[in-house]
Amino acid sequence: MEFQPRSAQKAVLAYRGGKIGVAAVPGSGKTWTLSRLAADLIAEGYVGDDQEILVVTLVNSAVSNFASRVGSFVQEAGLLPNLGYRVRTLHGLCHDIVRERPALAGLANDFQIIDEREAEEVLRDAAEAWLRAHPQALDDYLLPDMDESKAGWIRREQLPPMVVSLATSFIKKAKDLQFTPAELRYYLDHFDMSLPLVEMGAEIYTDYQRALSYRGKVDFDDLIRLALQALQLDPEFLLRLRRRWPFILEDEAQDSSRLQESILRLLCGAEGNWVRVGDPNQAIYETFTTANPRYLHDFIEEKDVTGMNLPDSGRSTRSIIDLANQLSDWTQTSHPVTRVRGALSLPKIRAVPANDPQPNPQDAPERILLSLKRFTPQEEIEAVITSVSRWVATQAECTDVSERETCAILVPRNQRGFEIVEALKQQEIPYIELLRSTRSTRETAGALGNIIAYLADPTSTTKLATTYRVWRRQDRQNGELKAQLEWVNRQLHKCRQVEDFLWPRAGRDWLETLDLETEHPQIHTQLLEFRAQVQRWQAAANLPIDQLILTLAQDLCTEPADLAIAHKLALVVRRAANQHPEWRLPELTQELAVIARNERKFLGLSEDDTGFEPQKYRGQVVVSTVHKAKGLEWDRVYLMSVSTYDYPSALAGDSFISEKWYVRDKLNLEAEALAQLQALRDDPTLFFYDEGQPTQGARYDYAAERVRLFYVGITRAKKALVVTWNTGKRGDQHPAAPLIALETWWQEHLQSQEATSLDA
Amino acid sequence: MEFSTVQQGLIQAPLDRKIFVSGPAGAGKTTAGVGRLQWLLANRVPAQSILVLTPQRTLAFPYDTARHMPQLRPGGTVNLATIGALARRMADLFWPLAAEEAGFTHPDTRPIFLTLETAQYFMARIVGPLVEEQGYFESIAIDRNRLYSQIIDNLNKAAVVGFAITDIAPRLKSAWVGEKAQLRIYDEAQDCAIRFRHYCLEHNLLDFSLQLEIFVKHLWTEPLCRNYLLEQYPNLIVDNLEEDTPVAHEILQDWLPHTTSALLIYDEGGGHRSFLGADPVSAATLASLCDERLHFSASFVVTEPINALAKALEKAISPQKATEGQGREKAAVTQGSSLRSALHYDLHRFHPEMLDWAADTIAELVHHKGVPPAEIAVLSPFLSDALRFAMSNRLEQRDIAVRSQRPSRALREEPAAQALLTLAALAHPEWGSCPSRHDVATTLTCVIEALDLVRAQLLTDILYRTKGSCPRLEPFAGLKTEVQQRITYLLGGRYEALRLWLEHYNEAPSTELDHCLSRLFGEILSQPGYRFHQDYHAARVAANLIESVQKFRWIAGALPGEKPPAQEYVELVRDGVMAAQYIRDWEADQADAVLLAPAFTFLMSNRPVEVQFWLNVGSAGWWERLYQPLTHPHVLSRHWQAGRLWLDSDEVAARQETLDRLTQGLLRRCRHALYLGLSELGEDGYEQQGALLMAIQRVLRENHGT
Repeated sequence: MEFQPRSAQKAVLAYRGGKIGVAAVPGSGKTWTLSRLAADLIAEGYVGDDQEILVVTLVNSAVSNFASRVGSFVQEAGLLPNLGYRVRTLHGLCHDIVRERPALAGLANDFQIIDEREAEEVLRDAAEAWLRAHPQALDDYLLPDMDESKAGWIRREQLPPMVVSLATSFIKKAKDLQFTPAELRYYLDHFDMSLPLVEMGAEIYTDYQRALSYRGKVDFDDLIRLALQALQLDPEFLLRLRRRWPFILEDEAQDSSRLQESILRLLCGAEGNWVRVGDPNQAIYETFTTANPRYLHDFIEEKDVTGMNLPDSGRSTRSIIDLANQLSDWTQTSHPVTRVRGALSLPKIRAVPANDPQPNPQDAPERILLSLKRFTPQEEIEAVITSVSRWVATQAECTDVSERETCAILVPRNQRGFEIVEALKQQEIPYIELLRSTRSTRETAGALGNIIAYLADPTSTTKLATTYRVWRRQDRQNGELKAQLEWVNRQLHKCRQVEDFLWPRAGRDWLETLDLETEHPQIHTQLLEFRAQVQRWQAAANLPIDQLILTLAQDLCTEPADLAIAHKLALVVRRAANQHPEWRLPELTQELAVIARNERKFLGLSEDDTGFEPQKYRGQVVVSTVHKAKGLEWDRVYLMSVSTYDYPSALAGDSFISEKWYVRDKLNLEAEALAQLQALRDDPTLFFYDEGQPTQGARYDYAAERVRLFYVGITRAKKALVVTWNTGKRGDQHPAAPLIALETWWQEHLQSQEATSLDA
Repeated sequence: MEFSTVQQGLIQAPLDRKIFVSGPAGAGKTTAGVGRLQWLLANRVPAQSILVLTPQRTLAFPYDTARHMPQLRPGGTVNLATIGALARRMADLFWPLAAEEAGFTHPDTRPIFLTLETAQYFMARIVGPLVEEQGYFESIAIDRNRLYSQIIDNLNKAAVVGFAITDIAPRLKSAWVGEKAQLRIYDEAQDCAIRFRHYCLEHNLLDFSLQLEIFVKHLWTEPLCRNYLLEQYPNLIVDNLEEDTPVAHEILQDWLPHTTSALLIYDEGGGHRSFLGADPVSAATLASLCDERLHFSASFVVTEPINALAKALEKAISPQKATEGQGREKAAVTQGSSLRSALHYDLHRFHPEMLDWAADTIAELVHHKGVPPAEIAVLSPFLSDALRFAMSNRLEQRDIAVRSQRPSRALREEPAAQALLTLAALAHPEWGSCPSRHDVATTLTCVIEALDLVRAQLLTDILYRTKGSCPRLEPFAGLKTEVQQRITYLLGGRYEALRLWLEHYNEAPSTELDHCLSRLFGEILSQPGYRFHQDYHAARVAANLIESVQKFRWIAGALPGEKPPAQEYVELVRDGVMAAQYIRDWEADQADAVLLAPAFTFLMSNRPVEVQFWLNVGSAGWWERLYQPLTHPHVLSRHWQAGRLWLDSDEVAARQETLDRLTQGLLRRCRHALYLGLSELGEDGYEQQGALLMAIQRVLRENHGT
């Protein structure tokens, strides 16, 4: 569709230099505007041959969206696309910077970024070693009246995971504050302060960094820290990069962290060109990162910065827009906890005029349901599945697929998503998962993993049968072929001696005993082919693992993206094999299984990293976390688990995941530790820390972020919205405060509407 | 062979002439050098009086072929050497003259020459405890093998550039602009180098740096050794002079006045080995010591379109360099259309798609356009195992022979070597090292003819025991009849013969692992019924492994260690601590096959081809120099001004220079066409926008529509 900018967008597109900050609302087309701006600047010759427009965004999926949009303009000039601009996430940008001058950061040029799982392992080892060495160091924080046996149990069972989680946040924060382990040690040794939490964090941090350096690796947070360090250390390098990137366009700026801002500020320079676009109401990454929407707010307030708004949105029906705006109003004026009232702010969402090229969908208040009905977790799933089944059935009636609607079930956590997926599977409802890693990565990793698992255990008929199912996996889509697949699968299970099928002696060919040649020649030929295939794979079993994976991939995958994933998997697993020379196929299979089972985020080429497009899955149900759904939209959205557990409001009685029952004074040790760290950075000589305050502060911050998460969830919906909640595992949870407020308002709103129409 | 007039002039110059010839690659200098060698021999200059010096063994290949030509007169042989090899030979020959003066603790005992592999092993012995116990190198992220090799590299730099090893840290520190806290790693690297040097002196170990230092400082100055060399080799041919080091050039400076004849060949676009200490500047000064200077300018290789492309690319990479010769604007108009005819490219999203495109295009060239496979080189800045395997596989599927040239490959990558090491562990149960079941099963399939993986696993599951960390294979006869039948008696017999051999061997084990492997190979594995019988590749791997074990034993076995050298070797290889690398038989390459190589390796083989494929054009690897946190090729070079900081502008200039040299060097070795493999996402799945890609973009933009 041709891009026709609205007036607010035109104002942004008129930009040709300086600094501007743009506050946008959901569905206002900020990505469109920003990519168009990048393309215009390139087309009008604002960047030289060796220069690029630097576009910084939040997640990998947006990178590809931007790149393809801008790329199409460049290609028209008969040039190689992908040049003249560079779209990066912060990590990608920092990787580029460090990669350019690794020596400045003390790295070899082939430095590696530690895999998330390996980093977790290293950290767990360091944390457990610390606990073993200091078994009673945290006793002061435990409930004072506990008996010794209970305290012992807590030390054994509860403290280890808590220390790991605390250390993870501590190290992240320490890196954000640019503390090295040595510097922390210095402060602890030179200022007479008793800070057991910082002491603990510093020791684990030291151990963790030593282990990374031993492996020749850095973690993602190091990457950011080191990039900033490189820019600060070598002014010439900084100037070169400033020249290379004369324009910086930053999307999702509300999720910018202190370091991101520092890096971009340096790259931009005092006289540089910087466009920051974000929606402060959609800042939902504070809990996991050191991001804060305050940075965008403050930026817009700076005197050399022009502030603008993108308030028009054609995404949702008027009712959904009203709901989102009401949530904003209520939060700002009536949230029961005053400190949380700043969670949402202006601008409000404005529906576009009727003559807009992308108008709002026709209003349908009857398609909105804010349910306060009390469900158990299981009942909530059942209710949603029932509703979804009905929707799927109506969609199936629509023969033209392009006419069908899109639909998503949004949940606050991955685990809840897996439960939904299970239920959808049982009901045979077509679904797409958008949870931790995507299906294509997992399917490829899973397929390869299954075959390697067989090669590690070649006498197993069960694994051979699985191999067959993987080999013919596309048959599952077709009813007849599926039945055939199941039949062969059962036969293979019955084959007592695998060698009689794969490597038969004369007169002992198991395949002959099936008498397929005349009855089912097709299956016979297929099994002969399968046999030849497995023989080839077995011959490859002693190749180095990367070569084995590539060999299998050549036979298993046809899609370019799958082959690319396999190639990347080959490199990743090979690295694991180098790291653990004692590993053989069984262990390496585990490695693939971990990726396949969703336990690890696998950076790379999966669909979520190359841009998910909801409209590709019309008539099907997408299951996603609210976080992953950011930037996406569906006709129909189910927002689940909107209870005090997942959306607490900092009210008395609300539960907070980070507050442990066995810790005295309901302290959030993580928040306490991070506050101590911050105080050290602010001024170690005037160290100011008030125990308990950080715990309270963390509640407010978390509650505020959860209000925004709710806002993001609501604004994913274009036409229909269903919000539900459940009582939690123990049955003690309630609907989230914002849900109650919104539901109340909605009922009144409907009544007033009815009244108005009756009056009319 | 037909020679041009200038070539003829050089070849047939009087037998006592000293000639310095320069020119770009592809101008026929080496061909003339080989012609000169043949001319000298044909004119009764004794072969043994001629020394051909090259900076690297692969560069001597044309001379090696020439000296073995059947039409040559019988007699002695022309000597080929590098300065390093010469140093080693002299250190060995004249050891008593230098040992004491050089500071060796036991000058009366024979020296032990270290390979890179064994130097790394000893370095690990010295540095390992410092890292683990004293926190050395804590502030940098670097893998162990790299750490050791960079300390060795510093020692080598000191030797080839000619400065004291105690100057390493001061030089590196004075150029450092980064965080001050990092400076201590240079001190630590310095300390490790000194400790290593002391250890070598104490134990008569000579690594490359010590060999060269002894030669330069103690033997070349010693009349006995010096006269020996001057008298032995009055005729010198030195090729690729620009790729050699300042110390090598100093030796030549001394040597040349004493020679009867000399031919020095200098490649103008060279200096590719600068990260190894190559110094084209000091090489050029040798011209003044020659009687005659010749310049070859016309290329025998490059066609006009490639030439136009080379010029355009040079301009895109180093505009300031290309501004010379103004008034070429007119030529540029024809240049555009001309270079487009030589440049082909296709853009892909994913890396494997790009590989498919390259393989299809090569198949088209070979099968339909009559381009011989040997005239195609597929080049990439790096050649990962996965890339090598994926590309070879694709070409073989299209019936195209392929050879890959990489300087080295880990032995443990070879299934045959793995199998031999597993059998070695089974033959030595006293080591207490139990191979995994998977290793045993794959070993059995790898060595026993016709044994499949299923039966091998069955045998392993039942007959392989690891009681009390003592691995053991049980007799085939112990299986139930039904299982014996499943395995088949034929395969059972082969298994049993192998098992018995291991058992008998263990009754009287040899102390040397290389002996064990030789016997195992000779008595069992090379016999009918076993796979090495007709597998020449496996046999070559076995030979390489045995040689590697033997070298390790000679060196490591000479010094006290915690474990027997055999066991230590197996464990080091298995754990990847020592890569157990070996140089492939470079002269035994398959002739008519597509070459798959890293770009730099291709340059160092100095052989032009009709068509080149550059893969991963977007990769940053084309531009970036190899970063080594503990060392620095430029700062440790002779031209670096002491006390100057290494700034970003230096970095950029060095990279531009490298990219320019590399691309010009490659194009000078390309006759007709260049194919560019472009994929948006690299092998790792990351976007690629390296400097070469930007330069190509500029070339395309400037020549768009012409």
